[in-house]
Amino acid sequence: MIKLPFKAAAALTAVLALALTGCTGGAPSSGGNSDEKQIRYLLGQPEAPEDLELLKGDIKKFEEQSGIKVKLDVLPIDQLRTVLQTQLRSGDGPDVFNYDTGPGFAGALAQSGLLYDLTDAYKTRNWKIYDFAKERVTFEGKTVGVPDLIQELGVFYNKEIFSRLGISEPKNFADLQAAAKTIKDAGIVPIAVSDKEGWQGGHLLSMSLASRAGSKGMSDLLNGTTPWTSPDVVAALDAWSQLNKGAYLTPTPTAVSYDNGNALFYSGKAAMTATGSWLITGVQKNAKFDVGFMPFPGANDKGIFSAGLGSGTFVSAQTKKSESALKFLDYLQTPEHGRWQVEEVHAIPAFPVEASGTNASPLFAQVLQDTAKIADGSGDFGYSIDTLSTDVFNTALWDGFQGLLTGQKSPEQVSQDLQTAFEKSAAEGK
Amino acid sequence: MSSTITSTTPAVTRRAQTRLGIALIAPLMILVTLFFVLPMCSAIYYSFVDFDGINPNPEFVGLDNYTRMFTDPEVWHALGNNAIWIVLGTAAPLAIGLVLALLLWNVKRGNMFYRLAFFLPYVLPGIAIGIVWGWIYDPVNGWLNKALQSIGLGHLTTGWLGEPNTALYAVLATAIWASTGFVLIIFLSALRNVDTEQIDASRLDGANAAQRLWHIILPQIMPVFLMVTTITLVGGFSVFDIIFIMTGGGPANATNVMGTYAYNSAFKVSDISYGTTLALLITALSVPCAVLLNRLQRRLSLQGTGA
Repeated sequence: MIKLPFKAAAALTAVLALALTGCTGGAPSSGGNSDEKQIRYLLGQPEAPEDLELLKGDIKKFEEQSGIKVKLDVLPIDQLRTVLQTQLRSGDGPDVFNYDTGPGFAGALAQSGLLYDLTDAYKTRNWKIYDFAKERVTFEGKTVGVPDLIQELGVFYNKEIFSRLGISEPKNFADLQAAAKTIKDAGIVPIAVSDKEGWQGGHLLSMSLASRAGSKGMSDLLNGTTPWTSPDVVAALDAWSQLNKGAYLTPTPTAVSYDNGNALFYSGKAAMTATGSWLITGVQKNAKFDVGFMPFPGANDKGIFSAGLGSGTFVSAQTKKSESALKFLDYLQTPEHGRWQVEEVHAIPAFPVEASGTNASPLFAQVLQDTAKIADGSGDFGYSIDTLSTDVFNTALWDGFQGLLTGQKSPEQVSQDLQTAFEKSAAEGK
Repeated sequence: MSSTITSTTPAVTRRAQTRLGIALIAPLMILVTLFFVLPMCSAIYYSFVDFDGINPNPEFVGLDNYTRMFTDPEVWHALGNNAIWIVLGTAAPLAIGLVLALLLWNVKRGNMFYRLAFFLPYVLPGIAIGIVWGWIYDPVNGWLNKALQSIGLGHLTTGWLGEPNTALYAVLATAIWASTGFVLIIFLSALRNVDTEQIDASRLDGANAAQRLWHIILPQIMPVFLMVTTITLVGGFSVFDIIFIMTGGGPANATNVMGTYAYNSAFKVSDISYGTTLALLITALSVPCAVLLNRLQRRLSLQGTGA
């Protein structure tokens, strides 16, 4: 009488255990299937849903041209890192993926040997990525990625509000403060600054520091020649502190999300917003007024833009479909794809693109002209700090900037925190 | 004089019963092993190495993560926030839930509507609650600041989630709003079992409302009260989602609790081992509290004071 339920229960247990094991055993491997005609491509969810649809259309073009099918996996940005690291470590990763180019991201993967070495591919396939961009994805002598776009950091401004209030583009920081006062007196938020998420702090400091320290000064800071406690860093932080204390920024910027900050600008409730050139798509879609783009002013001049790389495309070291993956990278660097980037997603490719004849708006055309100077070396640009720094440093920067905007920390304290984090990263060999 | 108790059940039946017992508990044991024992062993292992999420052969570092944890000022700050959360996040829903339950106890008309209205926030997804309350607290377009301005209290407007002095309490208020409905429904159920004759008798004896609550009602619902206390209190140790959604632990770590600090350490700065060590501390602190309250609840139930 007892034997039957015992066996049944045992069988049930075994089935349950197998099911659970199956549930926790990870995703099916793509690495095992060496069918070169299909690759798995992983990327973070684009901010605008329509951009994903555009991307799918572009991938379809590649599929038609090459006969290689691309299986697209899209993850929320905040999960991308954890999932990708886990997948690559388990040998179950995508063949190709889009990822940040900084030392804390691609650099860490390269250090662990998880990225395919593209050094030879650059030579044999004649890829024309700008040298400065190529350097950013080169770790310990190996080039491991293809940077996909260049971004500029600066201040967007509402030309109609400026014109109505008789304000011209600020020529120095005092001008900016005076303009902000005029705008504030008119009942408009002068600069829509959001810092609820924290990462915006890296961009805000990059802008003001570029105009204070210049490209050489920033370079010295980033390579450790100059300490982060230098007067330029303190002054760059203090510029934002002064604007905040003068009530020229969004009330309590640390309570305002990035999207809400942008919405203030789009709706005309704020006259300026400080962010990156990726906002152009949003500006063109949402702003019903002319928009200008300027650098954050320096102490005595109009300042310079900061520029940096966005993300890049990388190939897993464990891929069994390297030839297909390389063909995909070839496609991403075709003139056709470059023009698609410019025209459809208003992104600036990291390789030369003939932009004449494209339907670029005046705003985007200005950014295109600016960034062309990065490539030919004729322009002076600062750096986007967070794309060149470690996680430890970026965390200190983001937390420090929030502390600055909430009055918990002085510019001197934040700069000291940055130096401490820089030294810690250096000590850890990062 | 000694005596031995001898089972009259045949040995064959006892063995069969044993096998049946094992078979019945085996599924649960497998679940416990897979989802508790193994992850716990794994967590303990990671707390003794330096794992960055990538390196497959992390270096053994002994007690370094533990030493670092106890000398890390942010740990004490986060624990302080946890303490605030535990005290206010436990006391406020209990007090508000009890008061509301007492008010609704004898309400006949619209009783179901009130129950639904108060319980609804509890079943809403945390992400939805966080986002909606984020809008309410928005410093420029938020309803709260607009409401304060409209009633002449504009001087009280602030960036609720962006000011270090208000951020934690603003998130806590949201959590209290979300959890009070649960407490209310449990208390309402417990109140149904309260002996109303005792209340009537005490009323005849001249006991006022507070005395009736303290001496008659509370003792009868005490096990349920302790059960709810245990759930909300342990939740205070492990609180994570609503803070992560609404502030991410910011501004500048002002709303960091152990959960967000562990997450940020593990996944923001890729210090998985340290994050795991912090998570173990949460477990080490919360389990004894849960066990203690559970035992107290059981003892009161056995004493027959339970509802």
